[in-house]
Amino acid sequence: MGNQQSSGAGGGPGGDDKNKKDKKDKPKYEPPPQPTTRIGRKKKKAAGPSAAAKLPAVYPTARCKLRYLRMQRIHDHLLLEEEYVENQERLRKAKAAASSNQPVNVNAEGDDRNADERSRVDDMRGSPMGVGNLEELIDDDHAIVSSATGPEYYVSIMSFVDKDLLEPGASILLHHKSVSVVGVLTEDSDPLVSVMKLDKAPTESYADIGGLEQQIQEVREAVELPLLHPELYEEMGIKPPKGVILYGAPGTGKTLLAKAVANQTSATFLRIVGSELIQKYLGDGPRLVRQLFTVAAENAPSIVFIDEIDAIGTKRYESTSGGEREIQRTMLELLNQLDGFDDRGDVKVIMATNKIDTLDPALIRPGRIDRKILFENPDQSTKKKIFTLHTSKMSLNEDVDLDEFISQKDDLSGADIKAICSEAGLMALRERRMRVNMEDFRTARERVLKTKSEGEPEGLYL
Amino acid sequence: MAAEDEKKPTAAEKGKGKATNGDAEQKEVQKDKDGKPIDDKKGAPAVEELSEEDQQLKSDLDMLVERILGPDSDLYNPALEKIKEFIKTATSSMTAVPKPLKFLRPHYESLEKAYDSWPAGENKNSFADMLSVLGMTYSDEDRLDCLKYRLQAPSSDLGSWGHEYMRHLALEIGREFQKRLNDDKSTDDITDLALALVPFFLKHNADADAVDILSELEMIDQIEKYLDADTYGRVCLYMVSTVPLLTYPDNDKFLRTAYQVYRKYKQYTQAVVLAIRLNDRELIEETFNSTDDKATRRQMAFLIARQRIWFDVSEDDDPELQECLSNTRLSDYFKALGKELNVLDPKTPDDIYKTHLESSRTAGLTNTDSARHNLASAFVNAFVNAGYGNDKLMLNSDSKNSWVWKTKDEGMLSTSASLGMLMLWDVEMGLDKIDPYTNVDEDLVKAGAMLATGIFNSGVRNDSDPAMALLGDEENLSHKNVNVRVASIMGLGLAYAGSNKEELLEILLPIVTDTSLDMQLSAMAALALGLIFVGSAHGEVTDALMNTLLDEDRSKQLKDKWTRFMALGLALLFFGQQEEVDVILETLKALDHPMSKPTSVLAEVCAWAGTGNVLKVQQLLHICNEHIEEEDEEKKGDELLQSYAVIGLSLVAMGEDVGQDMIIRTFGHLMHYGEANIRKAVPLAMALISPSNPQMKVYDTLSRYSHDNDNDVAINAIFAMGLAGAGTNNARLAQLLRQLASYYHRDPNALFMVRIAQGLLHAGKGTLSMNPFHTDRQVLSRVAAAGLLTVLVSLIDAKQFIVGDAHYLLYFLATAISPRFLITLDEELKPLTVNVRVGQAVDIVGQAGRPKTITGWQTQSTPVLLSHGERAELEDEKYLSLSNVLEGVVILKKNPEWED
Repeated sequence: MGNQQSSGAGGGPGGDDKNKKDKKDKPKYEPPPQPTTRIGRKKKKAAGPSAAAKLPAVYPTARCKLRYLRMQRIHDHLLLEEEYVENQERLRKAKAAASSNQPVNVNAEGDDRNADERSRVDDMRGSPMGVGNLEELIDDDHAIVSSATGPEYYVSIMSFVDKDLLEPGASILLHHKSVSVVGVLTEDSDPLVSVMKLDKAPTESYADIGGLEQQIQEVREAVELPLLHPELYEEMGIKPPKGVILYGAPGTGKTLLAKAVANQTSATFLRIVGSELIQKYLGDGPRLVRQLFTVAAENAPSIVFIDEIDAIGTKRYESTSGGEREIQRTMLELLNQLDGFDDRGDVKVIMATNKIDTLDPALIRPGRIDRKILFENPDQSTKKKIFTLHTSKMSLNEDVDLDEFISQKDDLSGADIKAICSEAGLMALRERRMRVNMEDFRTARERVLKTKSEGEPEGLYL
Repeated sequence: MAAEDEKKPTAAEKGKGKATNGDAEQKEVQKDKDGKPIDDKKGAPAVEELSEEDQQLKSDLDMLVERILGPDSDLYNPALEKIKEFIKTATSSMTAVPKPLKFLRPHYESLEKAYDSWPAGENKNSFADMLSVLGMTYSDEDRLDCLKYRLQAPSSDLGSWGHEYMRHLALEIGREFQKRLNDDKSTDDITDLALALVPFFLKHNADADAVDILSELEMIDQIEKYLDADTYGRVCLYMVSTVPLLTYPDNDKFLRTAYQVYRKYKQYTQAVVLAIRLNDRELIEETFNSTDDKATRRQMAFLIARQRIWFDVSEDDDPELQECLSNTRLSDYFKALGKELNVLDPKTPDDIYKTHLESSRTAGLTNTDSARHNLASAFVNAFVNAGYGNDKLMLNSDSKNSWVWKTKDEGMLSTSASLGMLMLWDVEMGLDKIDPYTNVDEDLVKAGAMLATGIFNSGVRNDSDPAMALLGDEENLSHKNVNVRVASIMGLGLAYAGSNKEELLEILLPIVTDTSLDMQLSAMAALALGLIFVGSAHGEVTDALMNTLLDEDRSKQLKDKWTRFMALGLALLFFGQQEEVDVILETLKALDHPMSKPTSVLAEVCAWAGTGNVLKVQQLLHICNEHIEEEDEEKKGDELLQSYAVIGLSLVAMGEDVGQDMIIRTFGHLMHYGEANIRKAVPLAMALISPSNPQMKVYDTLSRYSHDNDNDVAINAIFAMGLAGAGTNNARLAQLLRQLASYYHRDPNALFMVRIAQGLLHAGKGTLSMNPFHTDRQVLSRVAAAGLLTVLVSLIDAKQFIVGDAHYLLYFLATAISPRFLITLDEELKPLTVNVRVGQAVDIVGQAGRPKTITGWQTQSTPVLLSHGERAELEDEKYLSLSNVLEGVVILKKNPEWED
């Protein structure tokens, strides 16, 4: 906003005149200390003059005329603001045009000069630039910085650096020789976290899920609806759930459902696997968790999906190994992020595991995870759905009758069914047939069931 | 909403913060989501195969539809009933369309055709009933099928179709009503239908819906008969909070309806507050006399007195009632508060300056102009010890070596007038203390004493009318010294602000109309009249002021700097009168003088003060559009015009939270683009919008302006900081002001202002408020707003008035000052100590259930201080409060049901 310029040229000719007069009156006027500098302090988010530029929150959240009227009031004021600013800009341009006869040339000249100045700044920055950390700001022009190599320096800050961005702990660019501050790296979150942000939505949608209607509905109610229609919850007078955990036997579609959610939502979707949070260095895991949630809050509304949460979320126990303890600390940070002191706002968490009984009870208590959604092996009708889903794109022989498999009492999961279908397809390929026939399916089923039982050492513990 | 989304980026472009842009993106994202259909299930099942149950349902429905379409009329009724049952029993997730409705969709058109072909009868009605429900989901927005069939089916049991249906119906009714209004058609049938919906809404906790539909159909007054003891509170709350956003006549209707409801349920204090808001004297009187309960009447008296309405009770049976009405005890209560908080000990200006905390650089360099420094101290002393009747500069010494003699010229006037501030509200003691000063030879001191008399009489009433007797005295009003006369006139204005006292006309009107008098005198008299008759649009006064402005003999004087107060006086007469002011505006157009335009703007903003009217804001912004080159004598008036327009922006926007926040944004733009005359008014406007309400965003911005290159802007910003924190003791502001004191230690004007600001900040040792809004920020006190406005108008040219030699104008703040306390009394008006919870007020309008009205509370025992935006509630139910807003003086009565 214009506020920043208030002490600058905004005063117009009148202000300048007075300035000159002042100078004549008091020749020894000392430059005063800037009393209200906010540079170098941690910025509070919802305060300061920048808060003045924010739009007021509109209550009540329920849909009613009062809300509408308040929104309308904001809208009207914004229109007025726009009108005023447009008028002023036009006047300013008209004035500039009137004062110079060849406005076009002036513009071109201005561009030239800008480019010139920019290249000079680049020269001053030099290359390569070192990346360091801002430890402390001494005054407006000096700071103590540290670089990865170790020593700390007391250096000057170049005047072209935007000092509003400087705050202790920020990553900064340092001149390679004089080590003075020449720039600020604004993105301070770990690159690891930004990788988690999902740029391309997965192709799986809800339509690709056979059955699981109950589960889909529960996930939507807990995760998507609060982001889309928070007013529904306000009207009811309840707080929307913060997160859900999906659990159930392997291959029952937990991750698939999460993918579908990611596909469907336009909220920021962050996905991470529990094991990623286990880091080499002490304190890195918890830090990653913190940053993950900071990024989520910055990009709110967002959904955080943590797969295989049992990697870090197992029950706490006395442990002597440092690694174990670190993992537990990571989980503690996660606990704090889920339901800690700070409100995370529009961040929803989805977790998935197939061993819910090993998880720490604190992790899945209501308030952190409000809904536990069980994924069971499909029943008959669901099995049929899954089969039709997977076979719908296959070219089947007429003799194929999937009901045979469906009615069989095999303990098949969604993944098994998929395996059977693709196995059957492979069998057909081996024999260079263009269609999959019933026999292929039968053998495929045999194979899948066999390998499945092989996976579990049967009867070993019985 | 979509339009707003589009706005957002334009505003964000200029914000440099990354966060703002992020916000914009978010909004976009959300919009996308909203734009998408909620559920893709609707589309998906077409390809997906139906489960067996669904298949069953579908075939059932298909069969039923076939029966309806078929020729056998015997089957109609059972089939219809069956379908209805299917629809009613269907349950599903809140996002998905119920399955029966989904399966009936393909048949909708054929059903419609069938309906048209049926003969009238019971079956047809039943059919219409069903089609109405189907119409909700299928038909296009503008067909309003739901309503169409509903009107053809005289079924009474609407509620059984569910909440969503009722809401949809309400929506269509609203649309249809507008359509019919445009076509001039009868609307009886749909209003009847709407009235049938209202009880349902009220029963099902959707009071907002009930109010919305009635207001949409312009018959909000009907709501009264549908309310009961459980619902009226919520409904009235909703209605009252909608009022600031409505335009005339809706807002008036809403208030009056809510008033009726409160009256019906015997909530007299709430009713009287609304009557005060309506500014309807008869209504106030009627409410006041509608109950015989002594305590309730006293409580109402306190509320009326808080608004400074002069009001007499006819019967003499309760002398204390009159006392409540005239605020006589205010001083006692305030001192009781001081005693409780242990702040009775007087503070010296040095306690406030805390020079030892200023940066050491300035030590030893203090001001050479000691008279001025002393004057500043006198002001600080006056503000800080205001109302306590005890200080270390003025009252502790005899009049011979009083602080007065340490100042010179007009300073002596202001210094002796500071006595009035010290003795604020305490008429008897005040007269006593002021006496020595009235007999001093020095005219200026005498003038000060006159002014002081006016000040301590402000806001309270005394039977003997000492102010009238002293100030109205011929000797004072025609004293040879102009200052004595001005001070007496000012004193009258302050003492009788808002009183509408006709006797004063005889005294003051001649001064206004006498063209041989100085402009200063006449303008002050006009201003005093404006204060006394604030917001009354008093005909006689208006005529006199208009004639003066139009008078040929005066025209040469109109260029005088004091003329603006003449204009202000005129404007104050129309405070809050809205359209009434148009007559004056028309007349002023005829006046061919640079002062005419500023006067009309001033009158207009006063008339629309506190309404939040966006159109007025737009007009004012248009005024600010033009750039005025300096050194242009012709446009001198226009410069003032723009400054007034800026102050007017806050005056119009104040009182309504959303508009208030938005206007602060606009000030940023004005500061950016405006010329000097606009820029110096912006800080003042910011102060006006949040007096005694130190919000971070306001004082941070002001603190930046206080270092502006333009000295006028800086001085005004400093004052604005003081006003924004007036009476709060805000530590951060105190620190900023101390920094400013060392920064400006060489600039006497700015330093003077810093001192004043410090005095304001600590006014009453942090127990006062200058916010014109009271009673839960609902009611705008005209007197207070008028006082504030006067000071701000004088600050537009600070160097000519406040910083110059007319600093006594600052005392106009006296009308705005009120203690920000909560004092509890028993029914006999004896002080009562109870525990209350004090916390940040929460806007609970339209929230489900019974949410807490305050948050982050602390339990304290009364009397307590309430900051801006804080609310108190009783800790237990041992006592019941007679007033629903715990603020100011509150009478408690024992709860008969309480058991220890």
